[in-house]
Amino acid sequence: MKKFGSVLLVVLMCLSLVSSITLAQEKIPLRVAWWGSQDRHNRTLKVIEMFEKKYPNIKIYPEYTAWNDYWTKLNTQAAGKNLPDVIQHDYAYLSEWATRGLLLPLDDFIAKGVINLSNVAENQISPGRVGGKVYAINLGTNSQAILYDPEIFKKTGVPFPKVGWTWNDFREAAVKIKTKLGIYGAEAITYADAQAFKVWLMSHGTWLYADDGKSVGYKDDKLFSDWFNMLLDLQAKGAIPNIEVEVARGTLGVEDMFIVTQKSAMGHLWSNQIVAVSRAAKERTLRMALVPKAPIPNAKPANYLKASQFFSISSQSKYPKEAAMFIDFFTNSIDANKVLFAERGVPISSKIQKALLPLLGPAQREMFNFISLVEKNSLPIPPPDPPGASDVIKNVWNPMVEQIMYGKITPDKAAIEFREKVNKILQQR
Amino acid sequence: MVGGTKGRYLNVLYHLITFLLGITMIYPVLWMLGSSFKESSDIFTTMGRLIPTRFTVGNYIEGWKGFGNVTFTTFFKNSFIIAGVGTIATVFSSALVAYGFARIPFQGRNLWFTIMMITLMLPFQVQIIPQYIMFNRLNWINTFYPLIIPKFFGGAFFIFLIMQFIRGLPLELDESAEIDGAGRLGTFWWIILPLIRPAMITAGLFSFYWTWDDFLGPLLYLNQATLYTVSLALKSFADPTAVTNWGAVFAMSVLSLVPVLFIFIFFQKYLTEGIATTGMKG
Amino acid sequence: MGYLFISPWLIGFFIFTLFPIIASFVLAFTRYDILSPPRWIGIDNWLRLLEDNRYHNSLRATFYYVFTAVPLRLIFALLVAMLLKPSTRLASIYRGIYYLPSLIGGSVAIAVVWRQVFGLEGLINFILGTIGLKGTNWLGNPNTAIWTLIILAVWQFGSPMLIFLAGLKQIPESLYEAASIDGASGWSQFVKITLPMLSPVILFNLIMQIINGFMVFTQAYIITSGGPLDTTLFYSLYVYQKAFQSFEMGYASAMAWVLLMIIAFFTVLAFKTSRFWVYYESEEVR
Repeated sequence: MKKFGSVLLVVLMCLSLVSSITLAQEKIPLRVAWWGSQDRHNRTLKVIEMFEKKYPNIKIYPEYTAWNDYWTKLNTQAAGKNLPDVIQHDYAYLSEWATRGLLLPLDDFIAKGVINLSNVAENQISPGRVGGKVYAINLGTNSQAILYDPEIFKKTGVPFPKVGWTWNDFREAAVKIKTKLGIYGAEAITYADAQAFKVWLMSHGTWLYADDGKSVGYKDDKLFSDWFNMLLDLQAKGAIPNIEVEVARGTLGVEDMFIVTQKSAMGHLWSNQIVAVSRAAKERTLRMALVPKAPIPNAKPANYLKASQFFSISSQSKYPKEAAMFIDFFTNSIDANKVLFAERGVPISSKIQKALLPLLGPAQREMFNFISLVEKNSLPIPPPDPPGASDVIKNVWNPMVEQIMYGKITPDKAAIEFREKVNKILQQR
Repeated sequence: MVGGTKGRYLNVLYHLITFLLGITMIYPVLWMLGSSFKESSDIFTTMGRLIPTRFTVGNYIEGWKGFGNVTFTTFFKNSFIIAGVGTIATVFSSALVAYGFARIPFQGRNLWFTIMMITLMLPFQVQIIPQYIMFNRLNWINTFYPLIIPKFFGGAFFIFLIMQFIRGLPLELDESAEIDGAGRLGTFWWIILPLIRPAMITAGLFSFYWTWDDFLGPLLYLNQATLYTVSLALKSFADPTAVTNWGAVFAMSVLSLVPVLFIFIFFQKYLTEGIATTGMKG
Repeated sequence: MGYLFISPWLIGFFIFTLFPIIASFVLAFTRYDILSPPRWIGIDNWLRLLEDNRYHNSLRATFYYVFTAVPLRLIFALLVAMLLKPSTRLASIYRGIYYLPSLIGGSVAIAVVWRQVFGLEGLINFILGTIGLKGTNWLGNPNTAIWTLIILAVWQFGSPMLIFLAGLKQIPESLYEAASIDGASGWSQFVKITLPMLSPVILFNLIMQIINGFMVFTQAYIITSGGPLDTTLFYSLYVYQKAFQSFEMGYASAMAWVLLMIIAFFTVLAFKTSRFWVYYESEEVR
């Protein structure tokens, strides 16, 4: 038993050592949380160091992990009323969090200039607005894009996508590339989150959810079945990967898109992801085009500017002003942004954009150019998804996509079933 | 054992089967090892190859650096503290409880045993939030306490495991010990404990590995990177929405295997010696 | 006296385990989206289980998995344990090699590895190719996807194997020697000595594998996310999705408690039948 006792002693000593690290210091403690990979962690940590040097009275405690785990942890912390002060947020969850009173409105800080947005255009601020108040500051502007490989287009004589191209043009290009080279024309269009379908609806002048968030937004089920009939046609012709292939490779990261290995000519992604894809493709030139418009007369643009992610402040924060100062530093410090280097998307401050422009590599320049192209060819950001939207996507949309693409249900039938199920979920909330 | 040519054939067959099976078993691990020496951008483009075309150790150097100023030295140290202390605590407390359940008749024994088994059957997913709230009340968030302290109270899995081994031992052992005047505690410490050494080492190996591999606990309860464990750090490397250094992911995954593998190889010796040294003479 | 010995567990149970269990049971009768306080809704969650199609898919997938993976894994683990029982130098190296896959666990790396093994150009299809068979897209085909996870479970058979090994080592060598002298064959030694002497450990492995089988989560979470067509949507994975992705913690809790009852049923079944096939040296204590 003596041995056991001494082991216990050592254990207790270890524990007390550990706990002493976490003892509060006199500096103002600020917890900052974000998701990302090693690259983003390193950049963000360096900026935190710079911030602490500038404000020696503030000590920042960073909390970072990967996307999925981040939300598990953050939700748990919310339930435990132990949220970090500064929270990296996503458009998908922002309105749910804001309406539940978990986030602090930032309008006061903006008015007083603690968060200086004088160099930021209104359409960069609006994604962070919920119910007329700004709850979150955009960390980088993003938009959906069709990524394409210009070499393959040239080789097959298919013209490059032009502004105003339609899904018919897209379909034609994809099939032609498939027949000429035997590789996929495009990939990842059926992807899990309904993003492509949403902008397809947007280009038709409607949206997935009704304005009140209580039902499906589009009136005509043909919009649903047309979309999937197009995809089924592309799949049958081998112009996009078979659903089996898409399912089998999962969602590990953009690094393993077929466009990287030159097995596909086009892909669908968010514009900031071009940096990762280009790096994986060993800096081969890849370009981005706008999302195709609906094949109808007077189609609306199929793009909108979105925040790749936000910073927001917890309503439980004891030091909201310091938290706001940190967000301001992230938004307006040129030195900080030279470190961050647009990794989260195009910075929202025009001043920062100008400062970064000469330093950019080819992939990032493509991203900057694409965003300014979108600014001229876009609709305002659609309202945030209603409560229950994550349930809709996870439990109705995703299973439905698989059933359609595996041929278990026809698009016409699926359209009716989809509407019923979604309406039921939305009305329950 | 069996002499002659038949024995030799059997012997060859034994090694052939074990060897071939071994190769199949280990192939995915070798593949992981191979990938850890590939250039990051080659990993997905040359998935079919075991041997890297361009050999690099850069992944190990880049990966070890971790995040900011916090390197894998810290993560490994944290994992060792949590898994090491936790394992010793679990194994001894579980053995004690197991002896109580297996050998001492008392009122309510079946009831408590049933309750213990039931605690194993509720998915952890729905216990996360109440647990977090509880540890938050205790002010244990961002310390190792939630990961270590509960281990001092035994683990249901290990208790049941050790119980089954104790029940396999002849009862005469206890009886003769009692005749010799040893109390219950003495019987446990001097007679039972040495005999169940294989079971305890097995339990220890599992406990160490499971704690080492667990990332949900560290994810929820540790906030600062200086407290992160290896498993949590590994998870923080890759993100489907951002640029991921896959080479580093593989390199550090390989390194995270090394300690558990060494501990296994070291202790499995004792596992096989267990009977030989203590002797089952009763 | 007995309470003294089990007191560590008892105390731990009351401090750390009881509250979360009770809380999850209470939550099963509420609507709780994590972000706002729970609201009492009676047995609605439980009724909803009856008509939730995806829930039924998850039941189907889980039962399929338990009834295939558990026996396969146990048999394989026992075979390998017998194979590796000798205390030779080589056997201990083999033991290390065989145990290695079980150590990889649930890291991101395993997702990539597994996709390579079962991919169109992966190991399995390569092996099938060499013997003239045509492979399939194992992870993408709704008929085969669950088998990749079953094979993964069998591949990571290390923990039951180790327990079998420890159990085998506890069987006194003298029993075999006596049997050999009596001229018993290898097979009858296995049936007459190994199996009965090992039966407490077999029971343990069986019960733990049933419990773990029903609660299988990590592999599906990182490799298949439940797809294709919900064929690998294991029960715990669905519980997790409902709790943390659809924010229906109340509903998820109800599901969890149903799972508890299912597992308890099979565990009790195993215990009840064990009296017919499990042999304890210390019979009286039962």
